[in-house]
Amino acid sequence: MRDRRALMVRSTCVAAALALVALGAGAALAQGTPVPPSYAEPARIDSRLVVWIAAQLHLMFAAFVLAVPMFALYIECMGWWQAKREPAQAARYDWLAHEMARLLPPAYSLTAITGAFLGFALFAAYPGFMGYMTSIFGPTFVVYPLFFVAETVFLYLWYYAWDRLQGDRKWVHVAIGVLLNVFGTIVMFIADAWATFMMTPAGVDQSGKLVSLYAAVWNPGWMPLNVHRLVANITFGALLCAAYAAYRFLLASDREERALYDWMGYTGNLIALFTMLFLPFAGYYFGFELFAFSATYGVTLMGGVLSWLFIIQAIVIASLFIGAAYYSWLGFLRIPGSEPQQRWVPVFNVILIAGFMVWATPHTMAASIEESTGGFHPLLGALGLMAPKMIAVTVILLVLYVSYMLYRRAGLVPTVPWAATGSIVQWGLIALTGAAIIGLGIYGYFAPAHIRILTSIWQILALIAGIIATFIIDQFLLRGARTVAAVRWGTMPGRGQYVLIALAFIIVWLMGLMGYARSAVRLNWHVFGIMEDTSAGAGLPSLGEAAIVVTTITLIFFVLLAGSFAISGLSAGAKGSHGGSHGTGRLAAAGEPGGRP
Amino acid sequence: MTGPFKRKLPLPMTAFLVLAVAYVLLKLVRPVIPSSVVLLYMGFVLTGVVIHITLNDDRMRRFRDFFVPGAMEDRSFRLQRYGLLLVIPLVLAWGVYDGTRPRYAPPVEIFQRHPTAGDEILARIKVPDWAATPARWSADVVARGKTIYAANCAVCHGEQLDGQGPAAEGFRYPIRPANFRDAGTIAQLTLPYVYWRLTTGGIQNQFNSAMPRWVAPAGGHNDSTLHSNDLTPDEAWQVIVYLYKATGFQPRQESEVVDHRTH
Repeated sequence: MRDRRALMVRSTCVAAALALVALGAGAALAQGTPVPPSYAEPARIDSRLVVWIAAQLHLMFAAFVLAVPMFALYIECMGWWQAKREPAQAARYDWLAHEMARLLPPAYSLTAITGAFLGFALFAAYPGFMGYMTSIFGPTFVVYPLFFVAETVFLYLWYYAWDRLQGDRKWVHVAIGVLLNVFGTIVMFIADAWATFMMTPAGVDQSGKLVSLYAAVWNPGWMPLNVHRLVANITFGALLCAAYAAYRFLLASDREERALYDWMGYTGNLIALFTMLFLPFAGYYFGFELFAFSATYGVTLMGGVLSWLFIIQAIVIASLFIGAAYYSWLGFLRIPGSEPQQRWVPVFNVILIAGFMVWATPHTMAASIEESTGGFHPLLGALGLMAPKMIAVTVILLVLYVSYMLYRRAGLVPTVPWAATGSIVQWGLIALTGAAIIGLGIYGYFAPAHIRILTSIWQILALIAGIIATFIIDQFLLRGARTVAAVRWGTMPGRGQYVLIALAFIIVWLMGLMGYARSAVRLNWHVFGIMEDTSAGAGLPSLGEAAIVVTTITLIFFVLLAGSFAISGLSAGAKGSHGGSHGTGRLAAAGEPGGRP
Repeated sequence: MTGPFKRKLPLPMTAFLVLAVAYVLLKLVRPVIPSSVVLLYMGFVLTGVVIHITLNDDRMRRFRDFFVPGAMEDRSFRLQRYGLLLVIPLVLAWGVYDGTRPRYAPPVEIFQRHPTAGDEILARIKVPDWAATPARWSADVVARGKTIYAANCAVCHGEQLDGQGPAAEGFRYPIRPANFRDAGTIAQLTLPYVYWRLTTGGIQNQFNSAMPRWVAPAGGHNDSTLHSNDLTPDEAWQVIVYLYKATGFQPRQESEVVDHRTH
């Protein structure tokens, strides 16, 4: 208990130090309007590189500690909800939520450390720029540390009071979890205001002087980035939890432990897949707002200097979806009676691969002199446009949903009298959704740009409507269904676990790449159109250099994360093989998972 | 049912044939698909094949067993195994040789269709009132733009604005004159950007483009390309108006930076 208090005190001190840095530097450097920025090179290190690495690492740890409490709390609530009706299942949910939360304290310390490092690096290397930002966002620099401290307190309370606040006092624990999430989200929203002001400044006059702090915070890019980060953070956190579960699965010494970590990995992947359904659209929303703010952003991102970065992004996203789909399809092996459903998998595989071939087709190609056709290739030029890509990605999402639906069905025999009709209606609706998506896409291809944007929105709506309608039917169809083959948790092949670990690497790398894209799109501006970056390192690195830095950041992130988990494991090891009081006993109480979400 | 053609092909052979057929089909497409894109596509096909084999324990076992000599196998089976074990390294070796052998052609480049112009450049370009919105494009301006286009631009970009002018064949690498009827060109761009592109050209040749600079920069004469002083700014705008009018595209809306700042 003393350790915990010490940890809390240390973290609070770090947060307080951050606040002091922000306030002190803010008071010293506050200026009314932007002046030509001044630069320093502390310790003769490339300032831009240091800030890049520190910012990205901080963002990754912050994303993790923000996202995990969200779905862990949701899982905890599912357990709490079932506590009276199905105590065994409730205990398993509680174990799962706690197992995910167990990763938070070490990650939170690293969030604070990397955040403090980023703050010091920014104020030391970019004093002029930070002075201007302080003049605009001074009040938020004061409020931010307060919410950060509140998040710290509630995070440690939520984690360490887990056992004490069980039974009748569970509602207190859940309330603490809710407050933790509220404070965490506010912290992210405040930081997003600073980041988006640099991209889409508002609330200032032509000379850059502050007119309205409200408008500066609620600038055009703020809410799209908030939405995009919230969704992406959950995908990110869920995949890291799934990778942790995979690691524990591979090390597990008995069947029961393997079963629980298999279930945890499955749940993590399912959460990630679910949020990934919305991620492309959250990205488009952010992109549309950027394009609306300045057409230069659109050209730079899609046709200019960063266009090839998006081809890399398309391939990495494809890897992510393919990996997650592969893991889901492997999951059929857990269910002995799932052969009828497994017959569909080769079809899904072909659609997935063909879809991603379209998705990753570059509009402008890298060609040798013999291969160059001059202008656009008639076939690839057509496939490289937005309309075919929208068809591809939306159909892929539909296929992933159908895979999930079949997984729910595997080993179950519906007993409702209208089962056959219900199934036909479901498949009819899915076929209709697919036809609507393809039809709208083809229409959009030949329509003007402003109509094409509308058809892409209708495609998304058709997909969501199809999913909701068939899922509701499925809920009623499977009510009281007879189980002919239960899920055998723990029988997932080892290759599935390696896929989960690979997915964690891919999402971290992707986040690093897109972090670079978001920052690089400003080109030579600290604050777009207001404060120019006149430092020696203002130019963009080549794609190769950027990829090396992103890979280095990914490796540093995993080394730090693994180190922190190992350190937390040391104390756990002294108390029990699975994490002290929450280890062996909780694991035994949880038993083997039974159902599937 | 025991004949060699009626028997099911071993899994690795099927996988190899799927890859080979996909590769041949991609290579048969005309105009040729660049090898960078073929490589990308083949990566996806290979991934699909690996997924198919590893999704099922039985298939994985059959794949592995093919490469392990067994007592019951016949001659055709052995031939397929050793054939595959010979062909796969040969294909890989050819790929390495082909990728590293000396060539006289310039190296493959990543080409950007729209060179990046900073906002500090585009923000300085003021669109004349008569060219700013499609509603103000008069028939007179369009007619003058058409004349200027026919005299200066059509030789490369074509009478039909489709990039098929008589001189277009002369520009093969890395790119031919733009096809303005394609949705990927002017339809994606703002008026200041198109003006910047027209007047600055490929300055020469930072943007990997044969497009000349058509208008001298403000404040003087410029000899950086043969055509640097051929058009006045107004003439350039007339051509741009004609491009949009003739193709039916609308220019992208300009930056809303100024509006947002004070709100």
